[in-house]
Amino acid sequence: MNDSVISVKGLVKEYGQGATLVKALRGVDLDIARGSFTCIVGPSGHGKSTLMHLLGGLDHATSGSVLIDGQDICQLSNKDLARLRAKKIGFVFQFFNLLQSLTAIENVQTALMLAGVSEKQQQARARELLSIVGLVEKAAAKPGQLSGGQQQRVAIARALANDPPVLLMDEPTGNLDSEAEAEVMNVLKRLNRQGKTIILVTHSHEIASSVGNLITVRDGQVEIPERIKKAS
Amino acid sequence: MTPSKFVFKNLIRRRGRFVFTLLGIMIGMASFVTFMALGGSLKSQIERESAALGANLVVTPKGSCAYEQVSILTGEQLPTNITKDEVAAIRSIDGITAIPYLAERSAINNRPVSVMGILPEETRSFKNWQLAQGDYFPNDTADGAVLGWVLAEQFGLLPGAEVRIRGNQIKVLGVLEETGGKDDLTVFLSLPQAQRIYEQKELVSYVAVRVDRLEEVELYANKIKDKVSLGVVSDKQMRSSVLSIVGTVNITLQLIAAVAILAAAFGIVNTMMTATYERKREIGILQAMGATRSLIFRLFLFESGVYGLLGGIGGVLLGGLVAVFAMPLISQNAATSFVKGSQSSLDPVMFAGAILFSTLVAIVAGLYPAIKASKLSPVEAISYE
Repeated sequence: MNDSVISVKGLVKEYGQGATLVKALRGVDLDIARGSFTCIVGPSGHGKSTLMHLLGGLDHATSGSVLIDGQDICQLSNKDLARLRAKKIGFVFQFFNLLQSLTAIENVQTALMLAGVSEKQQQARARELLSIVGLVEKAAAKPGQLSGGQQQRVAIARALANDPPVLLMDEPTGNLDSEAEAEVMNVLKRLNRQGKTIILVTHSHEIASSVGNLITVRDGQVEIPERIKKAS
Repeated sequence: MTPSKFVFKNLIRRRGRFVFTLLGIMIGMASFVTFMALGGSLKSQIERESAALGANLVVTPKGSCAYEQVSILTGEQLPTNITKDEVAAIRSIDGITAIPYLAERSAINNRPVSVMGILPEETRSFKNWQLAQGDYFPNDTADGAVLGWVLAEQFGLLPGAEVRIRGNQIKVLGVLEETGGKDDLTVFLSLPQAQRIYEQKELVSYVAVRVDRLEEVELYANKIKDKVSLGVVSDKQMRSSVLSIVGTVNITLQLIAAVAILAAAFGIVNTMMTATYERKREIGILQAMGATRSLIFRLFLFESGVYGLLGGIGGVLLGGLVAVFAMPLISQNAATSFVKGSQSSLDPVMFAGAILFSTLVAIVAGLYPAIKASKLSPVEAISYE
């Protein structure tokens, strides 16, 4: 278990109460190995996004535990969760991922600002990150001047800002054409080869079949494929 | 990127809304500053007039109230019923100098002016007047007019010209040097001529009294009351009662301005609430990037405070301009005629206070939206489309 960057045990998430009680996750157990590339698939409304939100400390679990680097994030206060998100997790979402009033480089700098990087160092680091995703020449462009694929690559650069060990992505290519999807996936695979742990929620079977691990979430539970060694 | 740059970028992303919200607080603050400056100006002018009166005691008709006291300081028309005998009785008291005045109004070129009937020689030495042009009254009963400096300038009147007062053509004898007070805006006539023109026989409006021994003001006030059945008020009492009237007027005006500021504050609440809804998803993204609730709260509060700061600065500039340029033009009544020919009191401390006040109002206005924004759950914010 020592090579697990994320370890989930008996994770339950319920919304509402009484007659309106919705059990989004019904006891999920899961281990994500450090440096792995994992796809989460499953029908809409079965708990994929909920699982991702809990893995990233965006929401509180009803019960169970999520360990990131051995630390149980379910016990953290809102403030400590925010710190954890700044340092250990990089998020990329499907839509409206960038702050519209800021340029590409300012979007990346904002993430650095939130982690307490001085303004002097932000500029150089942000350019470095944009060059990783091949967009350094678009540094001064506003999101509206970028294609969907370029916007997502800026979002990935921003997610990498504080060099987090884990990248969490909720359908990052869901809104892109296949060419842009390929661009984004190439960047992600390269990052994975360089050691980043990537967890990606997707509807695309093509993407799912092209990566190492596959987790299916159905009815709030995880169907563990043979590839992931996790006894139920 | 710094939090302040971030806030600035957000502020100007909806330029129209930014400008209109800013105008709201600016106009509110401008009216506030205008009224404050006017009030300050009135106060300082009252202090000056009171000093220019040169009297320790003022004898007024019995039962006269604060309004008459304002009129003495502003040169308004006054009820005239102090008789020649009463004046003589007061003047017979040793240890005081008593100067009677007949305060009336007239108009030159349809603009109202003060007309004052005086005992020329005594008043001149009482007030220490200097002559700028022409001659003074040759004796205490002479016909003719001596004009205040500003009035002569305004109407282009030189010695030798004629002014028409109540149908009488009166020759201008001379022009006084500038005093900085209401005397600059007054037509002076000898008392007998003024009484004749205004058909007041031998009556006067008030008597200004200077006592030789200042520490015995109370004693002399009682001596005068013993001799004549008239009201006696000390210059201090008069100043304080006039100031209290002016203070009440000021507070009323400032309350009206406060309502304007309150309305502008709700404009800020509205703008910031709209921003909270508009940027809901962005707030979620910031939270996902690691922004704490307290940071979101501070960013929104800062943004709203900037409205107050900029609105305050704009309001002070606008209000200052109005106080300097527009207020003197509105003159011609008891309160604002003071301002004419006098400087508005543009006090830097008051301006700084106004800017601080405006910023505080805006921060308070931003509290609710900032709390709303900071209380958003990250998942709810991110899922918002």
